Amino acid sequence: MEHIKDPVGSRFEWMSTDEIAEFQSERLRESVAQAGKSPYYAAKFAEAGIKPEDIQSREDITKLPFTTKEDLRLSYPTGMLAVDPEQVIRMHTSSGTTGKPTAIFHTRQDIENWAELMARCLAMVGATSKDVFQNMTGYGLFTGGLGLHYGAERLGMWTIPAGAGNTARQIMLMKDFHVTVIHATPSYAMHIAERMLAEGDNPKSLELRIGVLGAEPYTEEMRLKLQDIYGFKVFNSYGLSEMNGPGVAFECTYQNGMHVWEDSYLVEIIDPNTLEPCKPGDVGELVMTTLRRTAQPIIRYRTRDLTRILPGECPCGRKHIRLDRMIGRSDDMLIVRGVNVFPSQIEEVLMKHEWVGGNYVIHLTTVGAMDEMTVKVEISKTSFDGSIETLRKLRDHLQKQIREQVGFSVHVEVLEPGSLPASEGKAKRVVDEREGR
Amino acid sequence: MYYEVSVFVENKPGKLSRVVEVLGNAGIDILALNVSDDGQFGVLKILTAEPSRTQQVLSTANMTVAINKVACIEIKDEPGGLVKLAKAIEEAGLNVKDAYGCILERGKRAVFVVKGDDLEAIEKAARSVGLKPLESL
Repeated sequence: MEHIKDPVGSRFEWMSTDEIAEFQSERLRESVAQAGKSPYYAAKFAEAGIKPEDIQSREDITKLPFTTKEDLRLSYPTGMLAVDPEQVIRMHTSSGTTGKPTAIFHTRQDIENWAELMARCLAMVGATSKDVFQNMTGYGLFTGGLGLHYGAERLGMWTIPAGAGNTARQIMLMKDFHVTVIHATPSYAMHIAERMLAEGDNPKSLELRIGVLGAEPYTEEMRLKLQDIYGFKVFNSYGLSEMNGPGVAFECTYQNGMHVWEDSYLVEIIDPNTLEPCKPGDVGELVMTTLRRTAQPIIRYRTRDLTRILPGECPCGRKHIRLDRMIGRSDDMLIVRGVNVFPSQIEEVLMKHEWVGGNYVIHLTTVGAMDEMTVKVEISKTSFDGSIETLRKLRDHLQKQIREQVGFSVHVEVLEPGSLPASEGKAKRVVDEREGR
Repeated sequence: MYYEVSVFVENKPGKLSRVVEVLGNAGIDILALNVSDDGQFGVLKILTAEPSRTQQVLSTANMTVAINKVACIEIKDEPGGLVKLAKAIEEAGLNVKDAYGCILERGKRAVFVVKGDDLEAIEKAARSVGLKPLESL
């Protein structure tokens, strides 16, 4: 494999395994020291009896406490800020969480590093400054839009910040500007293809050569189907706002797992029950530590995503480790249309309404290529007033409230009390009948 | 003033037969039955001679039931039998929300069941043209 000159100019991409180990140890020391400047980590480290000098090499990471989503909530809004606020140039919040969001801060250098990581990802799959890039994910607090955008610009691509939705316009832009690279959720990419086919158009007539698809898990079958429909290559992207967003792990042209940029992230795989490290190659919970972020280092973040480190070397020659597709979540979070949804968010809306009984089920299906959510809810026996109007209003009200909570449209079905299966022990609140699951 | 019984039903096969079976087993005669449907769910309105027992029987069978006031106006069972009442309601400027009818004795008596914002006004309008609101069936 001939190593093309790194188009992003990063000295990290082709590090050897030893260089990675040495760099990670050095960066971990600095990251822990930097984290300790935030009030939240200062207290957390003090509580755990950790002094920055206890951390000498990357093996010492197991001495450090984990960081969970709950820590991020507890530190909201700025408890984890480790720099002078004046140095912050941007913040993001995580998508679709209950109650308070979790905020992530960036300095100018952090944003530049993130853009560089993202540009490396895009270059790794063969994108260049000659490509025209259409970014079809949401801009704003969600990291998918701006994250890819900055990376694409950094690489020098002709970038179209199309944002999410408006399928007719997406198709028009792809045609009129000879778009060659897109970023979307896999379900949205499929939706566009289906729309084109329904209108007698052929997705292959587009000039697309690369599809960067992520923000929701998808199967190898879905990848092959999309590649076939569009006649392009699909690359899997993994990211989470706590670790910046997109750009954390990305496939190379060999499409055999996602390389994690180890100059920026230290990866552990743990058993979510015992919290002990898994044996190499075993599936467990992905735990990540930021190594280069200054505004808000995060130490040993429990992502709740289940995966494994793939054994062996990648033929591409990069030594950065590869993660398998995420096989699920260690908690109950759902990813619907690329949005994180907790059943508790739905429950919160339902239980606020006096007409609603205690039992409900969240039913997920695939319609066309899109995730579809139907919330089936029993009304309470005593509140029925005999009027169909009231029932309609209840349904419409719940649909609106849930949509406001989760950010996409849902169907609500109102059912008679007792019509859902009674729970045996822990209630089964989610029936996931989506294709490929 | 009279009462009708409403039953909440999901729009599924077998729901209607379950309701009428329960009533049949309890010896309750259905005088009129009206279905409002909204696709996924619907409401059955049932007129019987024993509204409170009807409610109780259905509720015991674990159905979701409500009992609501309606105006039951007796009319003649003949062509044009409803005209007098309809005109009286119209002239009183009253709003009818929901209505259905049933025959009590073929060629003799029928009843028109009306729901509206002001049931007393509907009954008053009926009386003004010599029609009788029923208290029992």
